[in-house]
Amino acid sequence: MEAFFTKGIKEIIDQYPDVEKILDEYGIGCGPCSVGICELKDIVDIHNLPEDQERELMQKIAGIIYPGQDIKIPPGKKRAPAVSDEMKYSPPMKQLVEEHVLIKRWIALIPAVVKNLDLESGEGRQLILDGIDLIRSYADRYHHAKEEDILFKYFDKDSEILQVMYEDHTTGRGHVKAMLDALERRDAATLGEHLLAYRDLLTGHIKKEDEILYPWMDRNLSTTQVGELFAKFSEVDEKMGFSPDKYLNFIEKLEKQFNR
Amino acid sequence: MADFQGCPGSHMLNFNTQTANDAGQEVGKISSQLGQWPIQMHLISPLAPYYQNADVLLTADCVAYALGDFHREYLKDKSLAIACPKLDSGQDTYTEKIKAWIDEANINTLTVLIMQVPCCMGLLGLAREAAEKAKRKIPIKYVVVGVRGEVIREEWV
Repeated sequence: MEAFFTKGIKEIIDQYPDVEKILDEYGIGCGPCSVGICELKDIVDIHNLPEDQERELMQKIAGIIYPGQDIKIPPGKKRAPAVSDEMKYSPPMKQLVEEHVLIKRWIALIPAVVKNLDLESGEGRQLILDGIDLIRSYADRYHHAKEEDILFKYFDKDSEILQVMYEDHTTGRGHVKAMLDALERRDAATLGEHLLAYRDLLTGHIKKEDEILYPWMDRNLSTTQVGELFAKFSEVDEKMGFSPDKYLNFIEKLEKQFNR
Repeated sequence: MADFQGCPGSHMLNFNTQTANDAGQEVGKISSQLGQWPIQMHLISPLAPYYQNADVLLTADCVAYALGDFHREYLKDKSLAIACPKLDSGQDTYTEKIKAWIDEANINTLTVLIMQVPCCMGLLGLAREAAEKAKRKIPIKYVVVGVRGEVIREEWV
């Protein structure tokens, strides 16, 4: 069984598809992940299951991989009890979660934007340029830069979970480039495809960060590191002189336009 | 014991005490992690060098007696001040000192350790009030300790 602890989850699910259902039972949604290189042991660790549930989960997975055999499962990791049922973030992590809200409002509008694409009028093209500006300036340069340049540096950049995050960011940048190319060619079909693909990517990415990555990071950051992160994020905010008002106005206008 | 109707902070309890060498407990001398003096809130200067850029613990007086691992788990690498929000007088000074920690000593974080008794929440209230008055913003955490030394809650404000 221990040989499977260090295998990528995608490889395990490809070989034993029922493992995905078992993981789902415990709220571990690895199935749809586009990368799936996280090792089984890290996935179990990162989801912070209580010791008895971790053991039960591993027993069920062992039952699928070695049916009918009596497989010994090593004791689960003892973890600090959760202090509250409600998701509580440290202040810097809370900032990142709050920055996600505006991005989520934009990606919720994307299907309506795609349905009403108008690349022939200047107004229609400007709407897309404004949306792309929100992605590039707010989501990427401002928010993702806080993650890549500051937060992720506190963790092993080669860890699978961070590799997945970096890959999502890179894929997102690829979609943005393709959107701009399509806009220049006035190719509405391709533009729509990349907008929708970006929406799908970011929906999963934000969910992974809010529910899995940030809570895991919070559990592994010391109080001193939380203070440092908070100060560094504040420095970024000050230096950029950034106000999300411009993007908030853009979103509110679109929400009214599409009756959201 | 009959139902107690008075202040939970003075509620008399007699614990079934366990010794430190019970199974699973470490034995031997434990080093002090205290790195400064003085520590009482009226006596400290908020601008003392050991508060500059520090992670500061503001602890209710009773906490260090209740929490067995106080030195190793909480005091280590932190600068300390202690106070009693129920019995101390002149607590306006405390608010000013906490504000000075934040704005002038540029502390990194503030962790407020309090007992589970209701009066102890006053210490967290002081910290919050000072933080609201301060120009800088810093992360503030609070830890609630039970009368038997268990950590009941640990959260960022």
